[in-house]
Amino acid sequence: MTERIIFEDVSKFYGEILGVNRVNLSIPPGITSLVGPNGSGKTTLMNLMTGLVKPSCGRIEVLGYTTDDPENLFKLVGYSTQFDAFPKGLTGFQFIYSYLCLSGVSLSDAERAAWQAIERVNMMDAASRKIAGYSKGMRQRIRLAQALAHNPKVIVLDEPLNGLDPLARAEMIALFRACAAQGCYVIISSHILHEVDIISDQVILLSNGYVVAEGQIQSVRKEIQEHPTQILIRCDRPRELAAKLFEAEYTIEASIHKDGRGLLLKTRDADRFYLAMNQLALNGIHIESIAPADDDVLSVYEYLIGNEEVIR
Amino acid sequence: MTRLWWAQVKAVIRLELKKTFFAKRGLWIYAVAALPVLLFIAYAVAMSNEQHKTVKIAHGGQKQLSYQDLLAIKSGMARNEVLAILGKPPVNFHWTGRRPTGPGADEEVFREDYQYSDGQNDLYVSLADGKVESAHIREGYNLGQDAVMFAGVFQFFFLRLAIFFGCLGIFMNLFRGEVLDKSLHFYFLAPIRREVLMAGKFLAGLLATCTIFVTSEVLQTIAFLWHFNPHMRDVYLYHNHGLEHAAVYVGVTILACLGYGAFFLVAGILFRNPIIPTLAILVWEGINPFLPAVLKQFSVIYYVKSLCPVEIPVPPGTPGLFALLISNADPISAPVAVFGIIVVTCVALAVSSAQVRRMEINYTSE
Repeated sequence: MTERIIFEDVSKFYGEILGVNRVNLSIPPGITSLVGPNGSGKTTLMNLMTGLVKPSCGRIEVLGYTTDDPENLFKLVGYSTQFDAFPKGLTGFQFIYSYLCLSGVSLSDAERAAWQAIERVNMMDAASRKIAGYSKGMRQRIRLAQALAHNPKVIVLDEPLNGLDPLARAEMIALFRACAAQGCYVIISSHILHEVDIISDQVILLSNGYVVAEGQIQSVRKEIQEHPTQILIRCDRPRELAAKLFEAEYTIEASIHKDGRGLLLKTRDADRFYLAMNQLALNGIHIESIAPADDDVLSVYEYLIGNEEVIR
Repeated sequence: MTRLWWAQVKAVIRLELKKTFFAKRGLWIYAVAALPVLLFIAYAVAMSNEQHKTVKIAHGGQKQLSYQDLLAIKSGMARNEVLAILGKPPVNFHWTGRRPTGPGADEEVFREDYQYSDGQNDLYVSLADGKVESAHIREGYNLGQDAVMFAGVFQFFFLRLAIFFGCLGIFMNLFRGEVLDKSLHFYFLAPIRREVLMAGKFLAGLLATCTIFVTSEVLQTIAFLWHFNPHMRDVYLYHNHGLEHAAVYVGVTILACLGYGAFFLVAGILFRNPIIPTLAILVWEGINPFLPAVLKQFSVIYYVKSLCPVEIPVPPGTPGLFALLISNADPISAPVAVFGIIVVTCVALAVSSAQVRRMEINYTSE
């Protein structure tokens, strides 16, 4: 059995409209974020992964199962979609319990699993109320509970933090991390980049239906040659350090930080800079910290896609 | 594996039944199913009133009459003979009228109308100048006539309209309703084969329609028998095939739900606009008597009509086309009809299965 989620040359067209085109992916365990502006193909990719839409061409395999084998696939996969609709007349508990029963488990097992899932998303108090009376955040959480109820190995979440208050967001992020730590594949789509940055082990950047980049964010950043690496150096004598750095041929630009307690360096050869820093430190400049300033999702997104629709 | 599928089918049925029975958009189906029941209740009430009047007339008469006494009155008898047999009429009217005797000539005539009753049947006697002109008996209980009326309501309203549109409302919405509600994806994301899901939904629809329409059918039978006295009821049920007919009507109702259900399940999956397939199926079922023998077999009415226990007689003078609609020109045997409807259902379900497997979730295009 393949321990990956694999897309092989997958394309999806809605009539003449492109959903995604020639996608090749191999997604490992951990938290993988799908990042891209609206209409870039994030939801299409998730729907393809879960068989809700069929690829126009190409092959998709989720941990060894094809998407036209729901009986086996959905024992492993849970998907919280973006559709904010529910079957009518059900309470939160009934909703999760009823759909758990579809897997053929005993009623008592389904009931136990439903309550566990409800507890995981902190919805115990509202579980016996009709979903129709839930707030947007509660609906989001009950959808999450439904996706997690059967303890899937692959958890696909389309904009899972939408509508949640800051406390609930923090709780959910902790939940995703816990799932990832247990070896789950957590696939999240989001256009809130600072959250993606916090939670992702790897990202897939999408634009206009194409995968622009994929992998760990630092690796992706290294691949982007046309934009020099930015490094923030915190030190006691930034002007002196800037003067020394200007002498080095790897320096493209060095500017004093706004607070006057550091400097921002732009270089095309970060490795040589890191080697040279040891020497500079020996010259009596007290260096507090050195940190990359643009290997986050936001910077990579801006370099590759532009700052259209970016939510910081 | 079969056990798992059965458990899954039961889970789907539990979910669907709740939605089907309590859906606001399906309330009209209850109204359609209740309509023939109300019709028969109204008929029973009207007949009871008539019988009440008949009994009152019988009690108001001079003599306790029998049906044979009523039959004894013939045209041409004299008033005295009538009075000798039946006694003084409890209801009578008299007036003077004119009767033509030749071109441009007429004469005065003394007319009388008498009404007698034996407690169940009424006799209407018309006299002119002391002679019986006509004697007509209106029977209080006419089982044969009432059974034909029941068959007519069953075939032309219940079967062709109530069950047809009821199945449309329930089966067409099994998938389509969830697409409109944007909740079908919850099923598609469950570890269940889509064919099993379809089977569960179909059985849920069948259970719902059968419950609604079989209940309606049973209530119609009860309402239909309501105005008969207990003796007549026993005669009808146990000596006149009444019980057998009632069971056959229930069976035909179930088969009609099965056949129309399968048709509308396919239609709900294949078409976005329900009006087009509904009209197409309605016309197809309507023109069935005029279709060639091969095409007739691809309809539900062809089979269920042959199973109906009471043949509706074509009234004399009915135009050919209408006569063809009323009569069953080429009835088929019951086993063939049941088998035929099951085959038609299986074909429809096979088409549905293939479609459901290919189905994608794309709510925005709806």
